[in-house]
Amino acid sequence: MKEKDATYLNCVHCGKCLPVCPSYSIGLNEFFSPRGRVRLVLTDNADKLPLRASKVAESMSACLLCGRCVKICPNDVKIDELVIDEKIKLNELAGRAFSIDKIALKALKNKRKVLLKSALKIANIPFVEKLAGRYAPQPEGKSFIQNKDLIFIADIAGKNAGGKNIFTAGYFGGCVFNNIYPQISSDTVTSLTKNGIEVFVPKMQGCCGLPFISSGDVESFRELALNNARAFKDKNLDYIVTSCASCSYSINKLYPLYFDANDEGYAEVRQFSEKLLNIWSFFKELEKKGVKIKTGKLKKEIEAVFHIPCHLSNTEGFKPSSASENLIGEAGFIADKITGLKLKPLKYNYCCGNGGMFNITHYDLSREITKRKFEEIKEASPQEILTSCSGCIFSLKDQKGILKKNERLAVSHLINVYAESLKESKE
Amino acid sequence: MGALTAVEYLSNYMDKKLINEFEMLLGKDRVLSETEELLCYSYDATSKDFMPDAVVFPLNAEEISKIVKLCLKYNTPVVGRGSGSGFSGGSLPLKGGVVVSFTKMNRILELDEENMFVTVEPGIINGDLKYYLSEKGYFYPPDPASYEFSTIGGNVAECSGGPAAVKYGVTKDYIAALEVITGEGEIIDTGSKTVKNVSGYNLTQLFTGSEGTLGLFSKITLKILSKPEANSLILVSFDDINNGFNAAISLLKLRNRPSMLEFMDKSSIESVKGYFKSDIIKIDGNFLFIVESDGSREEVDKSIGEYEKILKEFSPIFLFVSGKDEDKKVIMDARKAISPSLRKYGDLKINNDIAVPINKIPGMLSFLEETSRKYDIPIINFGHFGDGNIHVNIMLDKNNAEMVRKGETAKYDILKKTVELGGSLSGEHGIGLEKKEFMKLKYGDYYMNVLKNIKKAFDPQNIINPGKIF
Repeated sequence: MKEKDATYLNCVHCGKCLPVCPSYSIGLNEFFSPRGRVRLVLTDNADKLPLRASKVAESMSACLLCGRCVKICPNDVKIDELVIDEKIKLNELAGRAFSIDKIALKALKNKRKVLLKSALKIANIPFVEKLAGRYAPQPEGKSFIQNKDLIFIADIAGKNAGGKNIFTAGYFGGCVFNNIYPQISSDTVTSLTKNGIEVFVPKMQGCCGLPFISSGDVESFRELALNNARAFKDKNLDYIVTSCASCSYSINKLYPLYFDANDEGYAEVRQFSEKLLNIWSFFKELEKKGVKIKTGKLKKEIEAVFHIPCHLSNTEGFKPSSASENLIGEAGFIADKITGLKLKPLKYNYCCGNGGMFNITHYDLSREITKRKFEEIKEASPQEILTSCSGCIFSLKDQKGILKKNERLAVSHLINVYAESLKESKE
Repeated sequence: MGALTAVEYLSNYMDKKLINEFEMLLGKDRVLSETEELLCYSYDATSKDFMPDAVVFPLNAEEISKIVKLCLKYNTPVVGRGSGSGFSGGSLPLKGGVVVSFTKMNRILELDEENMFVTVEPGIINGDLKYYLSEKGYFYPPDPASYEFSTIGGNVAECSGGPAAVKYGVTKDYIAALEVITGEGEIIDTGSKTVKNVSGYNLTQLFTGSEGTLGLFSKITLKILSKPEANSLILVSFDDINNGFNAAISLLKLRNRPSMLEFMDKSSIESVKGYFKSDIIKIDGNFLFIVESDGSREEVDKSIGEYEKILKEFSPIFLFVSGKDEDKKVIMDARKAISPSLRKYGDLKINNDIAVPINKIPGMLSFLEETSRKYDIPIINFGHFGDGNIHVNIMLDKNNAEMVRKGETAKYDILKKTVELGGSLSGEHGIGLEKKEFMKLKYGDYYMNVLKNIKKAFDPQNIINPGKIF
């Protein structure tokens, strides 16, 4: 780590990060708290005490990288980056101590050779015993991207509605929305074309790399980042869009951190990172550019809650301008366009407990956090749960043992509902 | 490392035995004893740290009593800890020993709506309690800046206060009864759910603000109020310090006192000015304050009108009034921006929370300005006008030994002046480790002995948070 990045030196251990940390909330033990992790990193780096790598790793691996502590820290300590750096360091020391799910990761990386479907199966083999009774996401239909680039022409009605400009956007699907829930990808694309956007989906794209970097495997992360950047390069795209909050966290926030100015592909990765927007920011941006975003209507009214993914951040300077935006941030802009969607408030906006690899390595803890999430969901008593992140969808669908069979709730991406509403509207 | 001495060997052996006994009592998952874990319990919000020998998580009074009795047997210090967010070292295990973490004792035991009391376990977070009560139409006023993460137990131990003190008082004004485990492991109950209570010495008040040195709390009964329906804020600034001061004094004389009266002096205005940008408010002048009125909508509007009229008589350079939530947030954000904006002045902060009689505030502020000039170090001040509580932040460069030395001298001068002006060494953070050596500025040997004897009465073996206050 570069000395200038040593933000842990700014930590005054005030304790403000404790109540917002999902991993602390479970055991209320500071060994699993942001402040505790900062102290472990600080002590380890200063060689003050002989710390055991395996024990330090225990604390780091229970971090969900949700970033809630970073948001609340008055002294700008980048705790998520510290944890990642510490994991990389421990990984190098211990020889991949974190990559317990190596096979799954490998399958993700080489997705062109192995379908994720079988990858999930393979990945589960070493854990058959541990996995008994666990929730495993079932792929719903064929992968969105098969073996060629996809181009979707802008809808004519949309063009007219949008005025003179037709924008082109690249779509970054991410593993889950491409392979497991392909409907989310096709609904995203439909929502874009209906608003007069031409969409390009390069087949070369792969995993965003988050599962790798959160396991301390910086090498694979960089490889994937560069691959993705190159997949979208030279296509003359105005924008690149993703509908997965965790992919945008990885690409917008983490990509630039692991490419130095003199690294191969620095410029390409940076450009890709800067160009990518999460779907909600993109719609806001379009409106700013004079595109009138279409409104839709649902055949049947629904009362839903929107779970705000930890990794969904609003663009800088975002100020809510409607009740829905007040409730759920930028996603509220699209919720406003859907007649028949009634959003109900969630009291605390707790984390869903997924945390990507955290859900795999610490399934029991993850479930405890999910349980807490469902307490506030139950209190709101919605008909459906909406969100916009692949990880959140996994954990929110994992309702066995939390909700009774007849109480189970459907979980969708808000873009599914928007696409549905556009179907119903005649214009 | 060389071989262990006999004493070290014996002490290691004793530690292991003690930890074994804790594990038998509480189960392995409620005892921490590995270095990496203990490290995460070695600090609070001060810059000091001390390693504990073990951390335990009790769930009730009986367990705490057994923990204390075990510590007596092994003659090991026992230190209570909530969120470890204190500014005086109250939860630090100065002499090692056992840290008792109250985080798992965080339940609300009873909401007595008829008598208007709430009984809680000490580990509940102040903000969580406030939220719970607010949903039911009630209000627990004490609001230390850390209320979103500090625990009620810690608040009681340090007698925390905050902006609401000007109208509503501080923690001690809301404590009706405490269940306490003394240094002998005995469980005592100190109060009752009555406003009037004269039966023996008032131990409830003695424990409140005792900085965890007399016993460990297991149950806390608090007085609650009805929630005010509305509030509005005014941000006002003055070029002339005396005008600003007199304006603030005039507001305090009103029967409908403000529910908040926070001030920033020239130093903090300068600090925030460059850091915090807003379209609606202007941070400027030499004396600025934020006034709040709460009550029914009608009362608030009437009071705010009255405050505005009075303030305008003192020629403010800027005055902004709002009852809208988004504006109020901007105003409070300006106040909250002070702390992070300080970092540009130095990486070491000596934070003092002195309190002086209100009419001594201008005198204290000009003394602080002089001191800053005399030692050539930034001293940034802000605070709660209504109770004369000034947060004095001496900003230093950690690596500049000469500067740190000057800072320590400045701290001494400031505390000495505080006592001369008839003030208190600590308004709300406590003495703990941070101000121990300054107690003699205010108290003589006889007084200090009385304090020590009081401690002895509850803790004859001196195992409860030893080394604090004196």
